[in-house]
Amino acid sequence: MIIETLCFYLFAAVTLFSAFMVISSRNPVHSVLFLILAFINSAALFLLLGAEFLAMILIIVYVGAVAVLFLFVVMMLDIDFEEMRRGFLQYLPIGALIGAVLLAELLLVLGTWAVSPEAAEMAAAPTPPVEEVSNTAALGQLLYTHYVYLFQAAGMILLVAMVGAIVLTHRTRKGVKKQNIGEQVRRRRSDAVEIKKVQPGQGI
Amino acid sequence: MEIGLAHYLTVAAILFTLGVFGIFLNRKNVIVILMSVELMLLAVNINLVAFSSYLGDLVGQVFAMFILTVAAGEAAIGLAILVVFFRNRGTIHVEDINAMKG
Amino acid sequence: MTPALIPSLGPAVPEILLAVAAMALLMVGVFRGNGASNLVGWLSVAALGVAAVLTLGLPGERVLTFSNMFVVDGFARFVKVMVLMSSALAIIMSMNWLDRENINRFEYPLLVLLAALGMAMMVSANDLISLYVGLELQSLSLYVLAAIRRDSAVSTEAGIKYFVLGALASGMLLYGSSLIYGFTGTTNFDALATLFGREGYSASIGLIFGIVFLAAGLAFKVSAVPFHMWTPDVYEGAPTPVTAFFAVAPKIAALALFSRIVLGPFAEMIDQWRQIIVFLAIASMVLGAVAAIVQTNIKRLMAYSSIGHVGYALVGLAAGTEEGVRGLLIYLAIYLAMNVGAFICILAMRRKDGMTEEIRDLAGLAQTRPGMAAALAIFMFSLAGIPPLAGFFGKFYVFVAAVNAGLVGLAVIGVIASVIGAYYYLRIVKIMYFDEPAAEFEAPMSRELGIVVTAAAVFTVLFVLYPSPILDSAAVAAAALVP
Repeated sequence: MIIETLCFYLFAAVTLFSAFMVISSRNPVHSVLFLILAFINSAALFLLLGAEFLAMILIIVYVGAVAVLFLFVVMMLDIDFEEMRRGFLQYLPIGALIGAVLLAELLLVLGTWAVSPEAAEMAAAPTPPVEEVSNTAALGQLLYTHYVYLFQAAGMILLVAMVGAIVLTHRTRKGVKKQNIGEQVRRRRSDAVEIKKVQPGQGI
Repeated sequence: MEIGLAHYLTVAAILFTLGVFGIFLNRKNVIVILMSVELMLLAVNINLVAFSSYLGDLVGQVFAMFILTVAAGEAAIGLAILVVFFRNRGTIHVEDINAMKG
Repeated sequence: MTPALIPSLGPAVPEILLAVAAMALLMVGVFRGNGASNLVGWLSVAALGVAAVLTLGLPGERVLTFSNMFVVDGFARFVKVMVLMSSALAIIMSMNWLDRENINRFEYPLLVLLAALGMAMMVSANDLISLYVGLELQSLSLYVLAAIRRDSAVSTEAGIKYFVLGALASGMLLYGSSLIYGFTGTTNFDALATLFGREGYSASIGLIFGIVFLAAGLAFKVSAVPFHMWTPDVYEGAPTPVTAFFAVAPKIAALALFSRIVLGPFAEMIDQWRQIIVFLAIASMVLGAVAAIVQTNIKRLMAYSSIGHVGYALVGLAAGTEEGVRGLLIYLAIYLAMNVGAFICILAMRRKDGMTEEIRDLAGLAQTRPGMAAALAIFMFSLAGIPPLAGFFGKFYVFVAAVNAGLVGLAVIGVIASVIGAYYYLRIVKIMYFDEPAAEFEAPMSRELGIVVTAAAVFTVLFVLYPSPILDSAAVAAAALVP
């Protein structure tokens, strides 16, 4: 128990610290790196909660794909850092006030959570005990049977994201030399080589 | 001390507040706005997984998985729009966004 | 081990058709290139038309499928037909215009098709997760459409603003959903309704918080005041056919979603909801009436006008009765016709050096283009709510429903806001008919747009004579939602 408590506090503290640094860091590259740290520590929190599939997916997808994409874009856009820090302080007091009020309300509310008596019968998908079925297998059994509609819809969402990103950013440049593998493979000796009879002493 | 649900919910609440705070604070820097949105979604995910664990119900984890998927797609599109904006304007300074007034 | 379930695909046939059509048209576009944009456009319109016909062919009673995540009832059918029709009209409006502006890409009708799919999924949602997934599918397509004119600083700026706003709204909606899930143990609307309907159930404060966040997220999506930030900027910056699409289809779908949520799972808490909706309605009506008066750009004016109209529609929802929902649906159907017509006229405002969006450029239109001026005048009068045009009847049904539900003050405020707001619509008519003519617009309207505009104008004028098809189908749809 003591290990679990220590781990929770460690991961939670690092997550919150990195989240704070994300929004207040001077340098966007630092922000992205702190975001990665926040994600990894949240994955650890998920592990503590017993959701190991989700934890690993968080690292593979969020850190491995989304955060790296952020990093690419930050590196690609030539951002002038000096410009950006001006005016930060003018919004700070009012923003901090609103944030503090919001947080206070949320904490008041969330401390009062109690398992509602109906929740047990409400549970649409009771978690099978982990000795019988691993978390991944349980999720899989659920996803492709009861939630197959959402699964297909998520596929369409990813399609839209792909089409959208290409529509917006793809530029065809003129004069770019590309390989056409099919053409290269189709080349026959008759196209490539031409035999000319040459008389000795004469050129072609 | 026993780690209860309230602890996880507190972490999520603070993360969500930081995300909202980040959006309103960083008017100048659209990339940090996008990262704040990701923080908000992370907070929602922690909420859902924590509830799922304490309710003994896998639906929360399924919901979190779909939010993850959609968040990845949304990040891709958000960054694409940002890139196109930058190509036109040469800056990501949100306060420069005042071509339309009224 | 749960046995494999084969869900019944029957009720979802229109959505499946749209998804398959989108993927097939993507292939057509990829292999034929941008020259095939018109082909892809017309095929998308055909797909939307077939989907609308299939929707009408679905059975009238309430059907659940996909593990109770997907519901089809009379309400969903009515709204889906409106959404599909407006998406088809949006594609038709865009084809000629995109060609002239040199942004004719085959992905445009494809994205509209996918947005329509998202909207249809959203309207049929019976679960918080399927609601979110449908909403995001629609929103992602719309973000891309707002920024699709990628060489224009104004359009990409509109894209960024719309994206940030939409992402914030989704985040709040999700946080609310997670709290609702945590404090009730379920995400399904029917289960929530049963839970709240139990004797002696008292909502814990966490649940109330969840509902507030959910409501805030939805209000963002509907662009009700005070969550309307940047909406006028987005409308002004996006390409005009995209603005026309924004003003009609997503608003209809989002309002329908709002209605379903308020009157479905959370019907027991209608009294608390009512206060929120009354506030949203009053704020939207007043802002929509007042802020548009100083506008000089016609697209910004239409943005504030649409905010105002959302306010009037919410009056119908605030009543919370079957009559209120009927009023809402009638209002949305009439709003569709008026807005489509008005935007087609705006699309025709083209000069030699490009599009113009200033209201003063409409001066003297009655002399240079009498037909277009007459149509635009009809739509402006109707938007202002002047009898005997259709717009008046939309407001009439909504206000009567509010009065019948005891919200007399709300109806009075609505009438006052309507009268104030009529000013800027009438000012446009005055500029068209009584001012010195400005330079003439070139290029007459294409034939298909001319047909659509005439149809919309005829509907607006003659609605008073033959209202019963819309009234009756709206009544059936409302009865399906409010049991």
